Amino acid sequence: MGLPTYVFYSLSIILVYVSLATLLQMQFGQLGIVNFGIVGFWGLGLYGFGVLLLQYGVPYLPSLILATALATLAAFVLGWIILDLDSQSVLVATLAFATVVADLATTEKWLTEGIRGLGSIPYPLDLGGDSELGLFLIILVATCGVLFYAVRLRRAPYGRLLAGIRDNEVLARGIGKPTLRHKLIFFTVTSGAMGFFGALSASIQHFLVPTLVAPTVTFSVWIALIVGGRQSPLGGLIGVLATIAVFDFLIELFVPIPAGYAQYLPIVKLMLYGLTLMIVLLYRPLGILGARK
Amino acid sequence: MTILTSWLTNALTLGLIEAAPLVLAAVGFTLIYYLNGFINVAYAENITLGAFFAVIFNSVLGLNFYLTIVPAALLSGVVSVLTYLLVFRPAMLRGVGPTEMIILSVGLSFFIRYGSRLVFGGDLYNFDNVSPAYYSFLGMGITSFQIVALILVGAITIALYFFIYRTSYGERMRALASNEDLALVSGIDPVRVSVLVWFIAGVAGGLAGVFYGVFSFVNTLLGWKLILIVMMVSIVGGIGNVRGALLASFGAGIITAGIALVASPLYGEIALLLLFIVVLRLKRARA
Repeated sequence: MGLPTYVFYSLSIILVYVSLATLLQMQFGQLGIVNFGIVGFWGLGLYGFGVLLLQYGVPYLPSLILATALATLAAFVLGWIILDLDSQSVLVATLAFATVVADLATTEKWLTEGIRGLGSIPYPLDLGGDSELGLFLIILVATCGVLFYAVRLRRAPYGRLLAGIRDNEVLARGIGKPTLRHKLIFFTVTSGAMGFFGALSASIQHFLVPTLVAPTVTFSVWIALIVGGRQSPLGGLIGVLATIAVFDFLIELFVPIPAGYAQYLPIVKLMLYGLTLMIVLLYRPLGILGARK
Repeated sequence: MTILTSWLTNALTLGLIEAAPLVLAAVGFTLIYYLNGFINVAYAENITLGAFFAVIFNSVLGLNFYLTIVPAALLSGVVSVLTYLLVFRPAMLRGVGPTEMIILSVGLSFFIRYGSRLVFGGDLYNFDNVSPAYYSFLGMGITSFQIVALILVGAITIALYFFIYRTSYGERMRALASNEDLALVSGIDPVRVSVLVWFIAGVAGGLAGVFYGVFSFVNTLLGWKLILIVMMVSIVGGIGNVRGALLASFGAGIITAGIALVASPLYGEIALLLLFIVVLRLKRARA
């Protein structure tokens, strides 16, 4: 391939964000669950995979499956505890969960090597010079799967059931729907999928350090979804293209920034994310895709 | 047995001292939560900026630490009022829902945090000319700052209690919080009352930042590191319940201090967060 490695590195990261934002669209846009613990599930997959593969010598595919199962189990237990609370409690509890995951990644050095870092993680397919391309294609297929499901879900009876729970849970329960069970199952599966993308991200990163599981991941996903439009299944995709892709791909790779200023780019990026989020919520609360209702 | 009792007294005293800034932040946060009914994540930056104001007065202008407290607290109050007037009030007038308000406050928080990161950089700042006097209390060292913090917390809490339950402004605030339409019909000016509440909340947050900063160091992440605990303490304490926020803050301080005495401080935080999730659950089960 003629394209340099870092292009696939950047594109793979952007695809992971597209998947996370689409999964959040399903959780928040479709069902109304305020998940501020995205990086917790993603991070459990990331570190679960790395630890199994490198510390316990489990092969690639079983590690991927077990790490996803770990994130799914965590989502089930957390969801079982908090999902019938009000949305502010859910928000704070999921945020607390993500903080616990990040703390454990730092303290449990016997598992994660702490801030020294855990590495190095191989590619899923050893294709020599095309290994990055292989990983990128695997993530592309998985992302397309998530997007396809999100688009289908919106029209399916199950999607309407979820929207019904979001808009009026008491009513949905009143007509005999087991709302809590539906919320728990859907939250568990979609958060487990976040863990799956975390496990795949381990190969993108090669080297796992606790700063990877920082809350900025969660907020970048939220900003992308709000900007793109939380009501549309493609809101996450559009939002990531309008925010993360602009900074992490277009500007980082193609805009020449004077050497002295490059260090300010990530800071300015997060500052502008915050500003964009405020402007969108104030002037266009349903995001880019929201107006086409 | 003696080990256990000494651990217990140490956890209690350290916890009380560590909880002092937390109480200030939790009370301020709770006031906004009570009045406007949403979680203001940007309150984290109020705490951070309070600490930075004091550091600037202290190390750039060379003011005595105790003299920096007052202008830093007042400036934090002004910042808090500005966030209300420029961001939150327009949002409320536009009918932004409570969940969206939280996300909006996250946006504001990011904007201020990384804006101040551009200004102050990623360095750690310390207070200059600070050589606290040490006192011995139950076999533990206590600095004069910690005593000042404890006294200030006590004074502010009592003042707030009187403000909320004994003054006409407090009454107007409670009226606004419980039934806005009725309060408006009764001739209460919502902007004046809200501005006052946001100012007081900002002062409390700024003071919390100053005392956290003087106990350790100041950087742009100071408030963010605290806000999660502040939010959990306020939710567990009950919406707008100043006494609840007080009790929950002291409880949180004592638990983290107790665990930090025997293990890594991070385990204290982890235990606290897990405990909070369980308490939320139990509160729900009881309600």
